[in-house]
Amino acid sequence: MSSTSIPAGGRAAPPTAARRPGRGRRGGLNSPRLLWLTVPSLVWFAVFSVGPLVAMFVIATLRWKGLIYDPTFIGTRNIRHVFADPTFHDAVRNSLVQVAVVIPVMIPLAFMLGYHLSTKPRGYRVLSVLYFSPGLISISVTGMIFYGVLSPEGGANGLLRAVGLDSLGTSWLADPSTALPSLIAIDLWRGIGWTAVLFAARLASVPADVIEAARIDGAGRLRIMWQIAFPMVKTYVRTLTMLQFLWTLFTSAALILLLTKGGPGTSSTTLSYLVYEKAFGQSDLGYSQVVGVVLLLLGVAGMLLIRALLRSPRERTR
Amino acid sequence: MTAPQPATRLPQPPPPPRRPAPPRPATAAVRPSARRRSPRARGPVAGLLSWLYALVLAAPLYYLVVSALKTNIEIFTHPFALPEHWLWRNFSTAWRTADLGQALLNSALISAVAIVLTLGLALPAAYALARLDNRLARLITGTFSVGFLIPPFAALIPTVVLSIKMNLFYTREFQMLFLPAGALPLSVLLLTQFMRTVPPALVESAALDGAGNWRLLVNVFIPIAMPGVVSVTILQLLAFWNEYLFSLTITGTAPDIRTAQVALPTLVSDATDFGVLTAGTVLTLLPVYVAYSLSSRRMQEALTAGAVKG
Repeated sequence: MSSTSIPAGGRAAPPTAARRPGRGRRGGLNSPRLLWLTVPSLVWFAVFSVGPLVAMFVIATLRWKGLIYDPTFIGTRNIRHVFADPTFHDAVRNSLVQVAVVIPVMIPLAFMLGYHLSTKPRGYRVLSVLYFSPGLISISVTGMIFYGVLSPEGGANGLLRAVGLDSLGTSWLADPSTALPSLIAIDLWRGIGWTAVLFAARLASVPADVIEAARIDGAGRLRIMWQIAFPMVKTYVRTLTMLQFLWTLFTSAALILLLTKGGPGTSSTTLSYLVYEKAFGQSDLGYSQVVGVVLLLLGVAGMLLIRALLRSPRERTR
Repeated sequence: MTAPQPATRLPQPPPPPRRPAPPRPATAAVRPSARRRSPRARGPVAGLLSWLYALVLAAPLYYLVVSALKTNIEIFTHPFALPEHWLWRNFSTAWRTADLGQALLNSALISAVAIVLTLGLALPAAYALARLDNRLARLITGTFSVGFLIPPFAALIPTVVLSIKMNLFYTREFQMLFLPAGALPLSVLLLTQFMRTVPPALVESAALDGAGNWRLLVNVFIPIAMPGVVSVTILQLLAFWNEYLFSLTITGTAPDIRTAQVALPTLVSDATDFGVLTAGTVLTLLPVYVAYSLSSRRMQEALTAGAVKG
């Protein structure tokens, strides 16, 4: 991985080499004072990203019923309140289901499709443009597309009718047994192809002769894919898996807001949506931010798990 | 940095697949064709599955486009047929109802200011990090690598509070200031990688000619890192353009300042005209697809380099 060399200094040459000629001018061009140039971006990042993240932990300890009121400190009361709430339990369950279905389905499928793309099959240009296109589509456009497709009189039911399976048709987003599965299907719809394109780009850097050699040795397709190609890009697979995991866990609120509003009942309420709903729907900011912290902790725990599962003992570079 | 602590030992963000090390990085990414046709075997099953999935991807997009030219009744009765009468007025209705003209303008304005700010902040930082390799520089790089993993949604509510405290709630200005912050980690990391490809000899000779840091950055580093600058610009513009949840909650839904992504869902009602809704969706999507068709290679490279999207 070329990028892991950032800190290790694979290209440590420039600074040292340039130091000599630069001497004399304000302590040289390479003076550590150069790092002042990073201060504006660090300040920006601290104010708008780190600050709010830290503030979450503070708000979680407040009784704060809506943005127009003044908050009061109530310590851990919010936490007890949240953990006793059945809605929260449903949200935890839905989030776990969502992640537990989306990631194990998406990553292997995307890897296989990405591998297939990287072999440049016939028509792979068309394929990669199609696979790539969900990456261009915003969440609100995705929401509107599927609002149409999944509505009672929409495309999904129309398709079922056309093939004579009317009985399977349902109002997908308003039926408690299909609301969450529909959202999961949309996650997969947009995620698999996109991730496959990323894998394909990465696999293109695996030297062809290694694969060739394995093939001459009589390794089958599946073996080459999983035992040769996969280990060579494992670190990348791991990074993408973590990113997809985080995105799935954290960003489901927008799509749910657009499509099901967490319902019917709590059948499609995830933790991410609960954070939003409690803050803006029910004006309970303390509750909302306790859930936010739980979400953050789950995110970290999940990342550690993925890292452990996809650990490569000897990390191959290149 | 509270929560993502353990992430510090994670690998760097996904490396740009088109490793910038070689002299002309603009090449590699999704264009593996330079390599001779790969000898990897493939089977009929994989081919079949890949086209099946392509079909699954294409079907809703097709449904979207044909529905945009139909009436509700036609959408319901013949969902996948071509429209009998091409109902172009769906587009004008959508345009007027959601005030899409103003909304697209707002999106463009916010994205433009945000990208200028992002580059203005990220380029000097990347320059410094590419030139120096001491402990502090590594610490800063590490900070950004962790920051890159923070999903932007995590701190939505405190960000709303921040916008209120700054007296910028329900304004476009807050988004202009806020969006660059989320974009900075990845932008700085990518630009640093590209700037590290500047040959030391070049820096040396420029320095001998008396070039200061500012001239080095503008005349040497930025031109050489141009492919990276372009990638970052495309990647972040798309992210800014597509941003939804923060725009909804912070900029709000007032017709004169809301973005296109926020305006579009206002076409949903108790009696949604699906023809108008899908027409509006097509209109919102159009700028991105026009940009994509003009520079699909560049865009694909940029997005795979970023490896994340919003």
